[in-house]
Amino acid sequence: MIDPYVILDLLLGLAVVALAAAVLTVRDLFAAIVLFIVFGLLSALAWVRLAAPDVALAEAAIGTGLTGALLLKTLHHLRYVTGSLDRQAALSVTPVQPVPMAVIWVNAAFCGLVTLGLAAAFLGAPRNGPGFDALVAEAMPASGVEHPVTAVLLNFRAYDTLMEVVVLLAAVIAVWQIERGLSEAPAPALGEVWAGFARLVLPAIVVIGTYLLWVGAEAPGGAFQGGAVLAAVGLLLLLSRLYVPRPAHRGVARLGFVLGTGAFAAVALLVAGGGRVAFEYPLEHAKTLILLIEGVVTISIAITLAALFHGREPVALSASETRHDA
Amino acid sequence: MQSDPMTLTLFAPLFGAILAFLFPRAARALGLVAVLVTGGAVVWLARAVLAEGAVTLALGGWAPPLGISLRADGLSVAMLAMTAAVGLLVSLGALDALRDARQTRYFWPLWLLLLTGMNGVYLSTDIFNLYVMIEVIALAAVGLTVLSGTRAALRAGLEYMYASILGALLFLMGVGFVYLQLGRLDFAGLITAEPSGALSAALALMVVGLALKTALFPLHFWLPAAHANATAPASALLSGLVVKAALYIFLRLTTYMPLPDEVLVTLIGTLGAGAVIWGGIQALRAERLKLLVAWSTVVQIGLIFIAFARAGQVGLTESWKAAALLILAHGVAKAAMFLAAGRIKDEVGHDTIRELDKSAIRPTLAQFTFALAAISLIGLPPSLGFIGKWSLMEGAMAAGYWHWVGVTMIGTLLSVAYFSRVLAGFLRFDRVRAPLGEHQGWALADVAPLTLAVSAIGLGLLAAPILSFIELGYPFGAMP
Repeated sequence: MIDPYVILDLLLGLAVVALAAAVLTVRDLFAAIVLFIVFGLLSALAWVRLAAPDVALAEAAIGTGLTGALLLKTLHHLRYVTGSLDRQAALSVTPVQPVPMAVIWVNAAFCGLVTLGLAAAFLGAPRNGPGFDALVAEAMPASGVEHPVTAVLLNFRAYDTLMEVVVLLAAVIAVWQIERGLSEAPAPALGEVWAGFARLVLPAIVVIGTYLLWVGAEAPGGAFQGGAVLAAVGLLLLLSRLYVPRPAHRGVARLGFVLGTGAFAAVALLVAGGGRVAFEYPLEHAKTLILLIEGVVTISIAITLAALFHGREPVALSASETRHDA
Repeated sequence: MQSDPMTLTLFAPLFGAILAFLFPRAARALGLVAVLVTGGAVVWLARAVLAEGAVTLALGGWAPPLGISLRADGLSVAMLAMTAAVGLLVSLGALDALRDARQTRYFWPLWLLLLTGMNGVYLSTDIFNLYVMIEVIALAAVGLTVLSGTRAALRAGLEYMYASILGALLFLMGVGFVYLQLGRLDFAGLITAEPSGALSAALALMVVGLALKTALFPLHFWLPAAHANATAPASALLSGLVVKAALYIFLRLTTYMPLPDEVLVTLIGTLGAGAVIWGGIQALRAERLKLLVAWSTVVQIGLIFIAFARAGQVGLTESWKAAALLILAHGVAKAAMFLAAGRIKDEVGHDTIRELDKSAIRPTLAQFTFALAAISLIGLPPSLGFIGKWSLMEGAMAAGYWHWVGVTMIGTLLSVAYFSRVLAGFLRFDRVRAPLGEHQGWALADVAPLTLAVSAIGLGLLAAPILSFIELGYPFGAMP
């Protein structure tokens, strides 16, 4: 009798590969995005099967949910720019010059060889080889939290995590400084169902996001996952135009972006002293400090991701745009 | 609060970036203070390394492999010092070069985040941490690339971002293979490792990723447009400093990983030779001054890889020093040259090489700076570029690898040829008649590039102390 999980795993693996191939081959951009989102959801399932629930949550929230929203927003903008907003026709990509078949085959052969080489190297590596597991288990009592992933991310290797938050800060600054020279695409018309949906779903998102953050200390979850879920609140507010970013809000937004990085770095520095180095939390306060950092970082991540979705610095509208708006 | 120079080197630019972003009106002052404090921290660190050799700090009190430790030795400090000094002078140059309020507002936070990332790379001893740092660098650098806001810059920035992210992903895959084999990510674990298939795959992936990030021929396609279309201070930072971070990681990995074999070393040298010749030809054909300077970066990167490969696998124990010298020389000289090119473009109003001698305005000081920087990049004595090229060729001759000497000679001739195209234009005073006063075109803004160019020449006289400094606490292939 075959273990049913083996069949599930096989199907999951095949589906992920098939979806990846479909994303690459389909020409209609909308279809490609939808396939990509499905691909992400199945990947998240695959992470669950690989016993990595933290990665699964991140993949579902950031890799699929938020990235999917960003892609759809970009498609909307592309349709607006190309003037195909009101047409039903699919917006598709056709290469200006078709790539010669010979080039495609040479590329395929080269990439295939590289993949084979990497597969051989992978198979030659030790199974269940050494890892951090033993070290982490040994150091857990001194970490202040109960979930090993949180201990690694916020204590043992907190420096890496701080710099990952810095990456997000750099991203939002880079996006804000791009001067588009193009007006924003009008928000899509939202039907009747929308308002009811938002009313139902908004409180649920807030609860789920906060829960993910809180539970991170002892179970899978944490700042990045919680932040991404909370960012969905921002997305809904932006989409429904319940909140419209104004130039006057820029100061608060900037504060929101840097809050996580600033607080994290400040805590890391301030705990140093009395023989301790940077990032070395005193054990009796470790849990409080880690929760404080996670809480602030979550807020920052949520605001930053929502701002990335908005995609531009809210600057004063020019006269023509103001008229259009009114 | 206990202070430590390495922590300060990382946190000063980080807090500077945060404050400069929060208070855009004070961005210049805050940014300059942050760069100055960072410079002070590097001097402090240099004194510590001079006094006691390499210094280490286990962050959070968690020793590797579980935690991450910072480590500074002679080579790290040399890179940090080059970054801080060039960064300070480019910052001063930026005070004048960036007139647009929007550009000033965003230049400082992006540049300080970039500085945080680069300092992080030079102090890192952990390959996953290196991956995170190159991501910080990549996003800040892309932001700086598109700062000028032109359509060409946006297009080039997008291409740069694709290349950069692909490079980082390849690097990350390599990191995965290292973890698979060794179960740890710190340098000490790499040094004690036995050669294996997974580690070879890891090294291959990471080297290709880094080659993409540092624009080694034939993966240089993104560099010329990105560096040529950025604003002058951004170009100086991108060309002088940013590509060096990936080069530095390359040097560290190849000394700590199980030694690369002869074929790989030869392949790397060959790609370097391709860069020197192809980049030289493209620089000869370039129509715009900044594009020529950008192609010269491709050439110099190639030269650094030739220096690495100059004496084959057995020579690697010494070759890294020649490569390090060329890295430092190029950092200083190229920053000077891009700033000078920006000044010339500002004064004359365009940077078409063919038309440079047809303008009544002659930014003489900027032209002089450009020429001095060219002297170091061509490799004329007594510049630091000369010392670097000399030690490249000396090592190649001693090992009997005459082909590397030949390629370097060809590269030098090509560089004389393409820089002469520009210098000849500077020297033709007879083409335009104008009242005497109008020939002037120099300003306080020329001070920063001129200082850089003079340093590029003058540092050649200090080559011996520099060489003995970069060896401090950095025995090849072993962790002390």
